[in-house]
Amino acid sequence: MTIDTAAGDSVDGGVPYRSRRRTLVRAGVPLAVAAVIATGIGLVPALAADSPPDLPTLTAEQVVAKALGSDAQSLSGTVSVSTDLGLPSQLLGAAAGGLGAAAGRGGGQDGGSSAADPQSKLLGLLGGDQTLRVAVDGPDRQRVDLLENMAGYTVVHNGDQAWAWDSSTNTAVHLTGPAAAAAQHTGKHPGAPLTGVPTTPQEAARQFLDASAGTTSVTVAGTANVAGQKAYQLSVKPTQSGSTVAEVRIAVAADNGVPLSVVVKGVDASTVLDVHFTDVSFAKPAGKTFDFTVPKGAKVTEQKADGAAGRHDAAGQDAAGQGAPGKGQAGKGQAGTGADGRGHDGVNVIGEGWTTVVSAQLPAGTVGAPQDGGKSGKHGGRGQALNPQALLKSLGKPVGGGTLISTKVVNVLVTDDGRVFAGAVTLPVLQHAAGVN
Amino acid sequence: MSQAETAGPAAPPVRIGRRPQTAAGFLALFRNELHLTFRRMRTKVLLGILAVLPILIGVVVKLNTDSPHEGGGGVNFIAQTTQNGLFLVFTALAVALPVFLPMTVGVVAGDSVAGEAATGTLRYLLVAPAGRTRLLAAKFTAGLVFCLAATAAVAAAALATGAALFPLGEVTLISGDTIGFGDALLRAVLVAGVVAASLAGLVAIGLFVSTLTGSGIAAMAATVGLVITVQILDAFPQLDAVRPFLFTHYWLSFADLLRQPMYWDGVWKDLGLQAAYVAVFGAAAWSRFASRDISA
Repeated sequence: MTIDTAAGDSVDGGVPYRSRRRTLVRAGVPLAVAAVIATGIGLVPALAADSPPDLPTLTAEQVVAKALGSDAQSLSGTVSVSTDLGLPSQLLGAAAGGLGAAAGRGGGQDGGSSAADPQSKLLGLLGGDQTLRVAVDGPDRQRVDLLENMAGYTVVHNGDQAWAWDSSTNTAVHLTGPAAAAAQHTGKHPGAPLTGVPTTPQEAARQFLDASAGTTSVTVAGTANVAGQKAYQLSVKPTQSGSTVAEVRIAVAADNGVPLSVVVKGVDASTVLDVHFTDVSFAKPAGKTFDFTVPKGAKVTEQKADGAAGRHDAAGQDAAGQGAPGKGQAGKGQAGTGADGRGHDGVNVIGEGWTTVVSAQLPAGTVGAPQDGGKSGKHGGRGQALNPQALLKSLGKPVGGGTLISTKVVNVLVTDDGRVFAGAVTLPVLQHAAGVN
Repeated sequence: MSQAETAGPAAPPVRIGRRPQTAAGFLALFRNELHLTFRRMRTKVLLGILAVLPILIGVVVKLNTDSPHEGGGGVNFIAQTTQNGLFLVFTALAVALPVFLPMTVGVVAGDSVAGEAATGTLRYLLVAPAGRTRLLAAKFTAGLVFCLAATAAVAAAALATGAALFPLGEVTLISGDTIGFGDALLRAVLVAGVVAASLAGLVAIGLFVSTLTGSGIAAMAATVGLVITVQILDAFPQLDAVRPFLFTHYWLSFADLLRQPMYWDGVWKDLGLQAAYVAVFGAAAWSRFASRDISA
């Protein structure tokens, strides 16, 4: 071997230049290098995920109390969000922009200030993988950075000021007045000051732990390391039958009870939602993190704080009351922006816990007209008059009593007489709620 | 070349074929390669084309923003470019990185061994007491230097164009924070360095392809074709399991350095991936080149 390597550098010399054996050895070198690298890539995550930490045994109640009573006021970190709801993309678009008309993406293409509208932007979280940077300092100051591909989207809430900034269009939305602090009013959602979509594990965890007492079995399923923190794994399972959610796993930091990851599994054992910190620090973030100065040349839209607050209420309430289906709700809540408060009046909640079903009456005819007035003419230019019933029916498949739009978790039943029933439940539960079977 | 021989410790007379492997010897060879690369008219033309690209982008953006019509789409940075000329550097790099930079790198790397084999000069190089491993290392390093030069050509031309057409001053990052011009200039240098480094894997691939054939054109075409193929594959969501291992996958992650604070995850992944490609294809090139018959 030593002779081989010694002669390897020479072109000619004492040894014959080319021998079959040396050629074979040489051909083996790149293969060996590739194999070493491949093993490294395969092994490193396996080693890192190894060895759950030793922690004192706690009952499920103690861990839940730890999580809900967590008094960690400040944290910063990177959050990875990966969702696979199996939503038809049209439906996602429809949900983002209200029922039927003006999908969230469309809102961006209007070229108007609505590109920086938090609601439509963060609903994009419902599809695919995203990385966010989160910083929280008490109920008054939060910041969420959505790390988009070669672009950024930032929401900063500082006292009575809130900013949303979209780099790709150089637009910003500015909320002022006491209502900008409405984020506190739902102070349970510190990570998402302006929307009902959960952007942090805390928020998602609270949605599952808060509302689910009585219909849920909670057990401690061992321990785990999440983002370098020792954590208890809570396994939350619905006790009611008819839910499409099989299990929710929540990792709660052993030190301070901050939920570090939430994984939702559907009944088909696929992962529907995975929100987890990839790194986290509980130190107080630097004060200037929450200072936002308007970038040069940015188009700023000053928003009526009242309108925003109303919208936030609608989305927030639904999300909190609902658990998993809350995400479907955020879109509907926004439909209420057209006529203030419609979000409260138009939506009925049937049942409780995991099998909650939300029902609403579809507007008859087209929805082009009401949208015009509601969104201050932003979507007027699109001139798309869509019949929501026809649109929804084109997405679903006919079942007894109506049309079913089926995703991995949320099922939506549109009855023939124009009512909509939605929930993280199976079809029979929806049909029962609709009274069609 | 004779310097290389005398500079090293005298080899024991028994091992006639063993040449002294010294830093000075490598440097001489490396300087030779640099001359060979950069004194060619072709290389100068390639760098010139790269320098024209930012000017073109700058003028188009300028004309477009002067007119009332706002063009949507394209690179997201364009919105910032109109506010600050420095952002033209990032826009130009983002535009050049998928196609133009790899094309020029593919030409240089692909031609490095095959071109010499085709013109018949490789034989003479190997007769000189250089050693094949060392020759390959020198060619690889010269390829890296070309990456740096190509990136610098784009960045410098973009900076000049940006300064001429747009206002300079404080720069708004894509996280909405504003930093001073000096800070931003440092980031531009850092980004250019990362972009150059993320072409390293391609240099190794080009070098390997180059050792496979005696035709320079074939090696260049194969390398550039490979870049295009890989980028097409990278666009298929169905290939999600494979995509993170394609050498082009993290190329545009340099944009993450334009956030406050900088987000390094993607960049480290990119650089790690490049290192892996350099190791594998460098070894493959060495394996092929060191045991190959040089007939031309």
